[in-house]
Amino acid sequence: MGELQLVVAERGGRSVATHQFHRGALRVLRPHYLDDSGQVCYVLVNPGGAYLGADLYVIDVEVADGAALLLATQSATKIYRTPGSFAEQRMRLRVGEGARLEFAPDQVIAYREANYRQNTHVTVHPTSSLVMAEIITPGWSPDGAPFRYEELRLRTEVRVESGETGGLLAVDNLLIRPPLDDVTGMAFMEGFSHLGSLIVVDPRVDQALADELHEITAGYAAQTGISLTEAVMGTAGLVLRSLSNSTEELQRVAGAATALLRKSWFGQDRLDLRKY
Amino acid sequence: MTYQLALQQLTDSALPTGAFAHSLGFETYIERGLVRDEESFGVWLAAFISQQLTYSDALAIRFFYEGVAVGELDPLLTAQLLPRQVREASVKMGNRVLEIGAEIFPSPGLAEYRELVATGRGAGHQPLAFAVIARSLGVPLSEALTAYLFATVTSLTQNAVRAIPLGQNAGQRLLRKAADDVAAAAERVGHLTPGDFGAVSPGLEIAQMRHERQRARMFMS
Repeated sequence: MGELQLVVAERGGRSVATHQFHRGALRVLRPHYLDDSGQVCYVLVNPGGAYLGADLYVIDVEVADGAALLLATQSATKIYRTPGSFAEQRMRLRVGEGARLEFAPDQVIAYREANYRQNTHVTVHPTSSLVMAEIITPGWSPDGAPFRYEELRLRTEVRVESGETGGLLAVDNLLIRPPLDDVTGMAFMEGFSHLGSLIVVDPRVDQALADELHEITAGYAAQTGISLTEAVMGTAGLVLRSLSNSTEELQRVAGAATALLRKSWFGQDRLDLRKY
Repeated sequence: MTYQLALQQLTDSALPTGAFAHSLGFETYIERGLVRDEESFGVWLAAFISQQLTYSDALAIRFFYEGVAVGELDPLLTAQLLPRQVREASVKMGNRVLEIGAEIFPSPGLAEYRELVATGRGAGHQPLAFAVIARSLGVPLSEALTAYLFATVTSLTQNAVRAIPLGQNAGQRLLRKAADDVAAAAERVGHLTPGDFGAVSPGLEIAQMRHERQRARMFMS
């Protein structure tokens, strides 16, 4: 069990936490500033080391108007056996006017007989900038087969809101149930075991950016697709999806894509979290 | 059974919705050499029926029949169909169904959906446009589901016969086999939950996205 609340606001050119609360097996490390952009970096930690059956983790993060947050994790989210039950993470992310959230978690690893539900609700303002990555991988199993987990259900919903009006921008609903479906074959995982996703929402997202990201990702062995969402209230989304057999390959693809965004939108260097 | 002929007209492949212009992703598999004959297209089709067609289209039809407002389901479909060409295909064909429906099967429900689209509060998706008309005609849910799914499968198979190409008899064999998958999908959709709505098939989705960049192509999706 664990609960975490974090509110980050802009104070004199730097983003700082104005509210922080944690309970149970979730907390954040002391904040870092990786560069002089004012973007604060918080690293989520699960001291328990893994999600087990009937575990519930609730994460609530707000990036107030004009603030910038980089949210990372200390290690992979490991889902162990959850017999007769499931582990669950509920996450609510709010990104304010002119605010920026970059969410770069480590991979989710689902072990044998793991059952996991992740629900993420993101609310952005039409002027917000959101980049969120996700990698899903199978854990080690005694027979070496990659799909020994029971069920992975990861649903992410992105809404755009301004004052009283709002609209749904994107819903990414991923449901992998190896015991029930043939997940290995054509149209599903297509012989791959690892899945990477990147969701970008920003008023600067357009076809030219999608084309540029395609050029960049085409050089990698991972099978990648990129497409734009409909525009909602003057902002738009882009989804990048990759299949591979390696976490590192998916990290390279997401890293190359986010490096372009960091550079061209914020003048920042490529993200390197290894030093922490 | 007064709706029988109306349902046949609505699901006939001659209904001018433009379905001949869409592969919904299989053209990417043809380009990669993975769909190349009767057998390999059959594998793709079975996966398409049990995945995207079930979790997106069929579930939208079921939820509408169960009373979920079209004004709630339409934006969900727009947000869930992440590959742009597939989203545009659903809206393009959906708007044709709304237009044809207004001419031949007008109803208050259909007028309401058209109003939603006209005022920008909805996009007009194919499964919902179909469901609105089918329900107004008194078609029971189970029949509406199998008729819609089989119509979609028929268009895709006809398109595959032209594109791969396959013989006409091969197309009919594929359809006969797909009928079992359609029946299974219509049965299965009854057991799904709101949380299952729009569940994606990653490989198919990536193929549908990559189709945007395919050089030589016969289809718009």
